[in-house]
Amino acid sequence: MIDQTLLTDEVRALVGRAGEPAPVRVTRRAAERAMDVYYGHHNGAVATDGTVKGVVLAALENESESIRYPDLLPDGLLISNEWEFSRPLRLDEELIVQSRLVDINERFGGRFGYSLYFRSDAEFRDSTGEIVARSVRTMMQYDAASARDGAEE
Amino acid sequence: MTALPAVTEGEELPALELTPDLGQVIRFCGLTWVFPAFFYDVEAARAQGMPGTLLPGPLKLGLIYRAIDDWLGDRGFIRHVRAAHRRPDITGRPITVAGRVARVYEEDGAQRADLELAVLNERGEPSVRGFAVVQFHP
Repeated sequence: MIDQTLLTDEVRALVGRAGEPAPVRVTRRAAERAMDVYYGHHNGAVATDGTVKGVVLAALENESESIRYPDLLPDGLLISNEWEFSRPLRLDEELIVQSRLVDINERFGGRFGYSLYFRSDAEFRDSTGEIVARSVRTMMQYDAASARDGAEE
Repeated sequence: MTALPAVTEGEELPALELTPDLGQVIRFCGLTWVFPAFFYDVEAARAQGMPGTLLPGPLKLGLIYRAIDDWLGDRGFIRHVRAAHRRPDITGRPITVAGRVARVYEEDGAQRADLELAVLNERGEPSVRGFAVVQFHP
């Protein structure tokens, strides 16, 4: 069982690391494919006012360079993920997406034993530089051999 | 001050009952270009101690989005949706997305509502705790 921090200065220095900004376009194909996945159809993928469903973010965020972080513990779990929008996205608009490692935390004890939490995001900016959407996820690293059985944490 | 939207605190969203299948999961993997074997290979999932292939967490986030969107319609847009994953869900088993309006308020000149949501497995246990903010059109 780990009882000492793995958050060395070298690991902490990863916080703030960002990928290269990449252009991404909100295409009809992306909007329809995302709707197919989540809704089972793509009727209304583009509204009459030209806006698209926010689920299109799932199709767009893999255009960004993902941030690599070290495998300090052998197992991983997605703890949470979220999407934020300052306004609906529009068909054919071009955005700039950039990923970042936002934070790293640790936890001693609990159901999973010693665990590390890596919070990263992908920001989508429009042509004015305003953030119009953001996708955030927190991954946990842990050692299954130190975890105990249980239900909800 | 504009009138508050015609929703009330405590109002329940219609339950969205689904049984996501392997085809939907594979389409999700293609959409996001993410292919962990335990999403589509039952032997890989069993090696992780799971009884079947896992429903991807980000897929469940999108299903929560859909449940909100089905309820909200053209009255506004979803500003924020969050999924906190508590338990795995197994592909091919029923899930229900449930939610309620927790708070209706005005902020930055807009009418907004906070929603509390959950994905429930077939035993009624929450596999995901969700939260969302919607903004109503003026």
